[in-house]
Amino acid sequence: MDSSTATTPRASPAERRREHDALGERAATMQVDPVTGAPAGIRYVGVHKAFGDHQVLRGLDLVIPRGKITVVIGRSGTGKSVTLKHVMGLLRPDRGRIWVGDDELTAMKDVQLRAVRNRFGMVFQNAALFDSMTVFENIAFPLYEHTRLRRREVEEKVRALLATVGVHQAEGKLPSELSGGMRKRVGLARALAREPEFLLYDEPTTGLDPILTAAIDKLILDTQGERPTMTSVVISHDMHAVLAIADKVAMLVDGVLAHEGDPDYFRTSTDPLVRQFLAGSLDGPMKV
Amino acid sequence: MATPLLLRPIEAAGRALLLFLEELGRVSRIAFLGTTNLFRRPLRVGLVVQQIEFIGIQSLPIILLSSTFTGAVFTYESYEAFHLFGAQGYVGGTVGVALTRELAPTLTGLLVAGRAGSAMAAEIGSMRVSEQIDALEAMAVDPVNYLVKPRVVASTLVMPMLTAIFDFVGMSGSYLVAVRVLNLSPPEFTIRLQDWVDWDDVWAGLFKSLVFGFIVGVVACYKGFYTGGGAAGVGRATTSSVVVSSVAILVMNFFIAYFITSSIAG
Repeated sequence: MDSSTATTPRASPAERRREHDALGERAATMQVDPVTGAPAGIRYVGVHKAFGDHQVLRGLDLVIPRGKITVVIGRSGTGKSVTLKHVMGLLRPDRGRIWVGDDELTAMKDVQLRAVRNRFGMVFQNAALFDSMTVFENIAFPLYEHTRLRRREVEEKVRALLATVGVHQAEGKLPSELSGGMRKRVGLARALAREPEFLLYDEPTTGLDPILTAAIDKLILDTQGERPTMTSVVISHDMHAVLAIADKVAMLVDGVLAHEGDPDYFRTSTDPLVRQFLAGSLDGPMKV
Repeated sequence: MATPLLLRPIEAAGRALLLFLEELGRVSRIAFLGTTNLFRRPLRVGLVVQQIEFIGIQSLPIILLSSTFTGAVFTYESYEAFHLFGAQGYVGGTVGVALTRELAPTLTGLLVAGRAGSAMAAEIGSMRVSEQIDALEAMAVDPVNYLVKPRVVASTLVMPMLTAIFDFVGMSGSYLVAVRVLNLSPPEFTIRLQDWVDWDDVWAGLFKSLVFGFIVGVVACYKGFYTGGGAAGVGRATTSSVVVSSVAILVMNFFIAYFITSSIAG
């Protein structure tokens, strides 16, 4: 966030109001994504977040384009997962404003946030499947919670989703009986169950072998291809996959947006930060 | 800037006070949300029944065993003392009053805190560290409504039932030891029992157990819900849940007893 609109944590109500208005004006200029030209699906404006003394986000400005795959990259601890959790209201920013479409999350109460979450699906890093439920029950859970579908309709839908992600043989198994790749596929099937407007992936390929990684990447591409109006946000460290699946890549460094562009921009960039990150090199401006 | 040496104890005391207040705020929040969610839809009747089965039915063996032997040993020990004064007829009444007012609700509370409270804290805690609670939130499912409410409701409802069973089985164990082992005649045992134990004693014990059930449910859910720090954190939450519930039960036991006694006396 630029210094003209930044306030200190002990800012007066008048200063906070001025900052709030300034962020609103800046958000109005972020209606279209500068990289893809698509309308903005999600807008982060001047978002700050700290956990105790550890400042994670330091004024993040980011546009997520509607109907595209945006991949957020950055070193561990730069706030990628925190960024994702903010958009579902799982975390609230200390300062800054966030919009999903025209709805401002930061002004919402918990009950309203729950309604916004109905528009999202999320694939967690370790799948976060309910370990006391079978694969079938995990995928059926959001359908039973939020729809009035009959049992037979739920069964049909769950089986179709399992076939989509290629784990139809595992519907009676418990999550503990699945491999890492299968768990992530089931997590994706669960996230897709309510046909979300926004699909968020938190490091979907972490811990998988290269072949399974390629399979999950293809699944992400296919999922987006079959649902052109859906907006996908992927957090990933796997640069090969990032450049293969992304419509837009956003690179976070120290809690702010350092670079954004299409995959070609990153492939051809001469910026030392980008080069070091893409090469996975110890030599460069980022130190371990 | 480093704090001057003389001010460090004050700073430490202040920090401890803040931590305590923070903890108190969180546990009150869980208790408040668990209670205000009671009639909020979805009602989660199926989950409440499932928890009643887990906390109540599955605790029965340990309650039956403990109550039988508590009644038996209390009878045996008090007989030894009363026998010295030729007052062994007081055994039935003494055991009856002690069981209904104190032993049954307190021991049931402690046993359920150890068996079911620890399991609830561990289950919710492992759901927290494996992001399952985040997944519930991400699916727009209120985790308090889904996880906390059924457990708090079930433990509050089940504890008086288990206490009533403890009362009955404990008295049966006492009767068997008194009559079969210590050779008291049945009327010698039952006359004082009928004279000394009235329904007020039973209701007082059941009221206590209702409060203890609420404490066990709230503390276990609170400890699990705010677990952090991986597997070690789940272990700490589980231990802490049992310790805090047990101490809270013993402390509340005094205050409820004081309140009930002064109400009757007043």
